[in-house]
Amino acid sequence: MAKKKIIKKVIKKVRRSSAASSSAKTNGSASMAVRDKKTMQAIKAMADNVVEIAARSRTPHVDIPSRSLSNVRFNRSRKIIEMGGNKNRRELFNLSQAKSYMQTLLVGSGCKRLIEQGKTTSIRGLYYMLKHRIAGTSENTFEEQSECDPIIEDIEVMLDALREELHLYAQNKGNLFGDLTLIDDGTELNCSRVGRNGYSIPSIVEPHIVQFVKHNAKFILHVEKDTVFTRFVEDQFWKNHQCLITHGGGQPPRGVRRMLNRLHNELGLPIYCLLDNDPWGYYIYSVIKQGSINLAFESQRMAVPAAKYLGLRSIDLERCQLSDSVIIKLNDSDKKRARQIAEYPWFENKANWQKEIKRMLDNDFKLEVESLISKDISYVTEEYVPQRLRDKDFLD
Amino acid sequence: MTTEAPPRRKRATAESMAAEQRSISVSEFFTKNRHLLGFDNPRKALLTTVKEAVDNSLDACEEAGIVPTLWVAIEAAGKNRFRVAVQDNGPGIVKKQIPLIFGKLLYGSKFHRLRMSRGQQGIGISAAGMYGQLTTGKPVRIVSKIGKNKPAHYFEIQINTKTNHPEILNGKGEGEDIPAGDKGIEYCNKYGITWVAEIPPLEEGGKPEMLVSGTRVTIEMEAGYKRGKGSVDEYLEQTAIANPHVTIYYSDPDGNLKTYVRSTTTLPPEAKEIKPHPYGVELGRLLAMIKDDKGPSTISQFLTNNFSRVSSAVARRICEAAKISTRASTKKIGRNDVDKLFEAIQNTKISPPETNCIAPISEELLLKGLYQVVPGEFYAAATRPPAVYRGNPFQIEVALAYGGAMATKKVGKEELNQLLSESDARNIKKFLITTFDGMGPDGADKIVKASGLSPRMAPAKMKSAEREALLEAMQGVAIGEGQTMQILRYANRVPLQFKMGDCAITKTVMSTNWRSYGLSQSRGSLPSGPVTIMVHMASVWVPFTSESKEAIASYDEIEKELRLALQAVGRKLGMFLRRRITIRQENERRSIFLRYLGEVASAVNEINGTNRDSLYDNLLKVAQRKTKEADTKLDTRGKRIEDDSELYGDNVIIVEPQSILDEVQVKSNGAATANGGASKKGKVQKELF
Repeated sequence: MAKKKIIKKVIKKVRRSSAASSSAKTNGSASMAVRDKKTMQAIKAMADNVVEIAARSRTPHVDIPSRSLSNVRFNRSRKIIEMGGNKNRRELFNLSQAKSYMQTLLVGSGCKRLIEQGKTTSIRGLYYMLKHRIAGTSENTFEEQSECDPIIEDIEVMLDALREELHLYAQNKGNLFGDLTLIDDGTELNCSRVGRNGYSIPSIVEPHIVQFVKHNAKFILHVEKDTVFTRFVEDQFWKNHQCLITHGGGQPPRGVRRMLNRLHNELGLPIYCLLDNDPWGYYIYSVIKQGSINLAFESQRMAVPAAKYLGLRSIDLERCQLSDSVIIKLNDSDKKRARQIAEYPWFENKANWQKEIKRMLDNDFKLEVESLISKDISYVTEEYVPQRLRDKDFLD
Repeated sequence: MTTEAPPRRKRATAESMAAEQRSISVSEFFTKNRHLLGFDNPRKALLTTVKEAVDNSLDACEEAGIVPTLWVAIEAAGKNRFRVAVQDNGPGIVKKQIPLIFGKLLYGSKFHRLRMSRGQQGIGISAAGMYGQLTTGKPVRIVSKIGKNKPAHYFEIQINTKTNHPEILNGKGEGEDIPAGDKGIEYCNKYGITWVAEIPPLEEGGKPEMLVSGTRVTIEMEAGYKRGKGSVDEYLEQTAIANPHVTIYYSDPDGNLKTYVRSTTTLPPEAKEIKPHPYGVELGRLLAMIKDDKGPSTISQFLTNNFSRVSSAVARRICEAAKISTRASTKKIGRNDVDKLFEAIQNTKISPPETNCIAPISEELLLKGLYQVVPGEFYAAATRPPAVYRGNPFQIEVALAYGGAMATKKVGKEELNQLLSESDARNIKKFLITTFDGMGPDGADKIVKASGLSPRMAPAKMKSAEREALLEAMQGVAIGEGQTMQILRYANRVPLQFKMGDCAITKTVMSTNWRSYGLSQSRGSLPSGPVTIMVHMASVWVPFTSESKEAIASYDEIEKELRLALQAVGRKLGMFLRRRITIRQENERRSIFLRYLGEVASAVNEINGTNRDSLYDNLLKVAQRKTKEADTKLDTRGKRIEDDSELYGDNVIIVEPQSILDEVQVKSNGAATANGGASKKGKVQKELF
């Protein structure tokens, strides 16, 4: 009963904010949403700082919170990764930083334009918006999108503004299937009746865009990629087990993670992950559970510390009596990555995880979820996952 | 089958062999072994002749305190025959001595004394005369005048190779005086001799100066004349570099006249004669000296009188070590005692010989000489303090020139045609390598490729269009990197042109690590780059590897001094090159900042509407200040240097590129400067943007 109340409240809120946003649209840039004003102020402050420093004949610089392992802290009580206080200074008059300093300001000006015009674009769109030939040279402001993306993340952490607050979104990647009714930007839909691929999770799923209406699910099964996702959809797993199925196309993008976070927190659904048995699978689980190192500043909104790891396990070759032909040998980078993961503070003190990783290294091979198909095409949906669920056989 | 007995042969007996055995005269020996004296081939014979005559003339002038003026003339005298004449304004030679000096091998004033001079043994000029006599049958002709009012004397001399004695052919074995006035001219014409009677004025409109004294030697010989490496032209040019006080008038077989004008009238300081140092004496020599000792004297007296740096205290120590009484007489001393004495000398600490007997060229004059002849951007010189090998004092000087045009770019069309027609190289590549200094196979390949000619084309058969293509390629191709270091070697101011590989100088240059000074160098070879290095060894006795005096022998002490001197100029070069790199990087830095400033200003303008141009100007000012800061020079220890001149130390010339500064920056220890006058300390101040 309590659940339903929450949902209603959300809907009310949403109606109010959608009214506000529609008024913003009609009035143009003259009156902005409060959130946009705050973002604009941050961007302006950055630019004003350049003017002021230049007037004092000093070197213009920006201080960007460091997005590296050394600057993240594992908060043991909240069980999420938090960002530390280290900052990296980026100066205009430093050979190796001059270009990225210029790019930082350029991204700032691009976001300012988007906010002013009340439009959003993908990060690829912003890249094309800002890409041009630098006057008098044969050099471009950005040569590739890969140069632009990290700068956007820099701006996010530096201005303490979320991506959607900068009017940016990433490419959609990841789907959801199951009996969940939601409103996406004013359109109500049921995620089990939007085609075989289900609901494509958008990059921005904040409450003012996406609202949950009702659902009939007991848990969420998150799988790694769409092959396995399709298997579960086709085999009607969601119906048979009353659950939602999601995938993130490998490393789940922010939209998917934010969605999982909201589904878990607002609808109280436990999350089980079915991922490949390799260091990358482990890391995907780690990202869903306590946040990524790169986006540590957003962990609070995204991490689901209660998420459980269902499989595949390094004992599965024997346990499921798979044929030897499905194994893939570990390469050097796999081994290195595995050892790194074992040393992360959030895995460090977990005996069963240490055992799991050690076992994989001892096996010297990895297993993909797809390998279960070698037993039977529906082995994974009819036997493997149901059995784990029945036995409550998870890694935490 | 029957075996035939070997035919009987009459065996030599001790008696019959004795009949064949007889003494060999030095002249005979050298007639058969002319390569030992540098007469291996016709081309080298010509060079050696000029060289010996010039060396003798310069020695004589300097010893007499006369600023040398030389006339060198080479005329063709038939196919493969040349008449070589060298005249000086030296003191002249007295009648009695002329035949001995020019007509007897191993006769001279320089062998028995320890004194820095060009000639050493007294073989050179007489051997040249002998060579001429051998190949043409013509005598050596000498004209010599010893004073203002004395007549010039004319000799025709032949050497008797059996007895090593001179034979005078004219004037009934006495030679003849050349009459004064018109009769003299008539006489000269009759005998086909030339005598330059006056020194032409150096400035236009000046008065010629009457020649007070001098000597002219003329030798006719079979020889070959070619320009390029190892030529007479090269020798004279290099001589002019190392002897800035000499003026040379040179006319080549084609009648071209070339004058090397002196840049100073100061003679090098007179070299002093010294007594031998005990460490340099070998046992046999010591024995001979003791035997030759005039008047019975004590060992102590003998040692102090005959050796340098032996005081009576040192003599006493030697005697004590040898367990001989200091008062023992030299007449009575036994062979065993001499052995002991010899050993004792080696084990006694004796201070090194005096070194003021050496007259180095001096860094300043080295730079001057190099600057005038080798075009470049950077010059540095270093002189080592005198050192000693085997008891002989010596001193090493090094000068270095970096940058500038390649030898191939200095050649004009006429000159190239001449060089091509004279060359006997098989193909163009070989021609380039053998003709031009510092040209390596890589550079030659580049030029041949750029010219579009067949690499196998013979230089002599090239048509005029092909020659032009080659010339164009030579001018156009930049071969700075493919170029190898050029080494000018000198011993007592005499250029060494052959046997480069055998010479201690070349070996040391190769074994020095030039990579740390910014040049590229493959292991065990000469470094590459547009570098000319000039190395001078001055010594009372230069240890040559052979009598032809072409390479310095490798003594450890000499190699060590060479290395230290090379490293000293190398460090300066390294600093210069590093600084050039820094400047280049600095320019790149500026351009990068400059590139982004506009974008930054535009972005800020878009965000908060600031005036773009005023922000741009502000940023520009910061950029200028920033890059200026990075402009400050640091010395090798990372300390800040305010003034350029402190960076390199003394005796460095930096020629700034024309576009930046049209003047030469010179710093040489308070002395006259290389750009021929006022010492201008140019400062490089480039406008930033």
